[in-house]
Amino acid sequence: MKPSLLAKKIGFYAMIIIVWQGLDSADIWPDNIFPSPVDVVEDLAYGVADASLFYGIGTSILRLIIGLTIAIAGGLVLGIFMARVETVNQTIGSLVLGLQSIPSIAWVPLAILWFGLTDTGIIFVVVIGAIFAVTINTYTGVKNINPSYIEAARNMGAKEGQLITSILIPAAFPFIISGFKQGWAFAWRGVIGAELLFSFLGLGFLLNVGRQLNDVSQVIAIMIVIMGIGILVDGVVFKKIEDKVMTRWGLR
Amino acid sequence: MGKLESRNIEKYFIHDGKPLKTLDGIDLNVEDGEFVCIVGPSGCGKTTFLRIAAGLEKPDEGQILLDNQPLNNTGPDRIMVFQEGALFPWLNVQDNVEYGLKIAGIPKEKRNQISHRYLDMMQLTQFATSYTYQLSTGMKQRVAIARALVMEPDVLLMDEPFAALDAQTRDLLLVEMQLIWQKTKKTIVFVTHNVAEAVMLGTRVLVFTHRPGRIKKEFKIDYKRPRISEDENLLPYQQKILAELRPEVKK
Repeated sequence: MKPSLLAKKIGFYAMIIIVWQGLDSADIWPDNIFPSPVDVVEDLAYGVADASLFYGIGTSILRLIIGLTIAIAGGLVLGIFMARVETVNQTIGSLVLGLQSIPSIAWVPLAILWFGLTDTGIIFVVVIGAIFAVTINTYTGVKNINPSYIEAARNMGAKEGQLITSILIPAAFPFIISGFKQGWAFAWRGVIGAELLFSFLGLGFLLNVGRQLNDVSQVIAIMIVIMGIGILVDGVVFKKIEDKVMTRWGLR
Repeated sequence: MGKLESRNIEKYFIHDGKPLKTLDGIDLNVEDGEFVCIVGPSGCGKTTFLRIAAGLEKPDEGQILLDNQPLNNTGPDRIMVFQEGALFPWLNVQDNVEYGLKIAGIPKEKRNQISHRYLDMMQLTQFATSYTYQLSTGMKQRVAIARALVMEPDVLLMDEPFAALDAQTRDLLLVEMQLIWQKTKKTIVFVTHNVAEAVMLGTRVLVFTHRPGRIKKEFKIDYKRPRISEDENLLPYQQKILAELRPEVKK
């Protein structure tokens, strides 16, 4: 009998934990540098018990949602403009490509100077980190629309405004959703990165606290939480949307 | 009404940096309620002519008139049925069919009422909530035709709508198309490269020349309806048209 996918996964992660525990038991490194899985779980349990973990998660996710929402709205508008107006593409389009090559963390100094150590500063970093991925994917999506869709819609009386909402966005949606997915990935990195440097609540802040207290198990615990949220959003939220879109648009 | 006139339509395309004449003075009167088929070799500009009539492309010379009014834009008075249907995959069958009505701001109840009538006519009622990926090619073309009919256009412009269908489905749709035409009394301009199809459908068949496209000859098909593909009496028409068409295809 072939082992199921779930069984394989469980086996794999169980193995990692066993090896980890084995390395810890071998006492090669001191405990304060290389904690055991139990230490990390204990640390997570502390975080749950005093709710500081939930507070951290909630703060980070709130910043992510606000930033990503702004980035998605802005990226959609910018991407559609670039795809429909050649001059906008030739001018702003080249700038967008350039800006996208700047890692979002590189915006942090500017954000601190402009906004101080505030929520707004962190959200600024998230928006800047995510907006260009949404823009570029939206642009590509709109450029790749089957021209017959647009012609059929115009033929049936659609004006440019109606065209955007009723044809351009839905027709480009398979691309736009990859833009959202990339945007979310950049945004999540941006949130954590910015929080580390801003040191102003959130999961990134908890990471920094762990470092300042020399608490390696807290650092690892928070990293696991960050990864867990990433897996959840990618593997559950986006996978569901993507599956539906791919099927309905006839892409598989 | 739906009297479509084409006056001296000329069209050039740029090919390798040089203008290439595609349409060379198309003069044509399509009377209200006529079913005109255009056949021609591929690249003769028959689709381009249809697109110009639909207002999706501008002619370099000449004019299209609908009921004596010159036209210079696309609009729901002349609805085009595309070769591959151009159905919207993100909408289900009913929403596809209602698209043009929704754009025009017609309230939901009224939309449903109209779309049900045409879904019923095209035998699509049980597929109303299906998405296009769940439909066969023949079904998709039915939806495309229903979507065009709900607009109640003066003129229906059809660009090889049955080209991708298997023979059985095509025969079926060719008969249905005649019934729909008889029922709705629409003016139809139908482009195809299939002579048998043109003879079955058309009250008149126009043969286009090889590029640059001109009307080479026209044939009146006075024969009872609905015509079926096995009917041998249609063969002489086909042969006459083929005799005109063959030299053009070989050019």
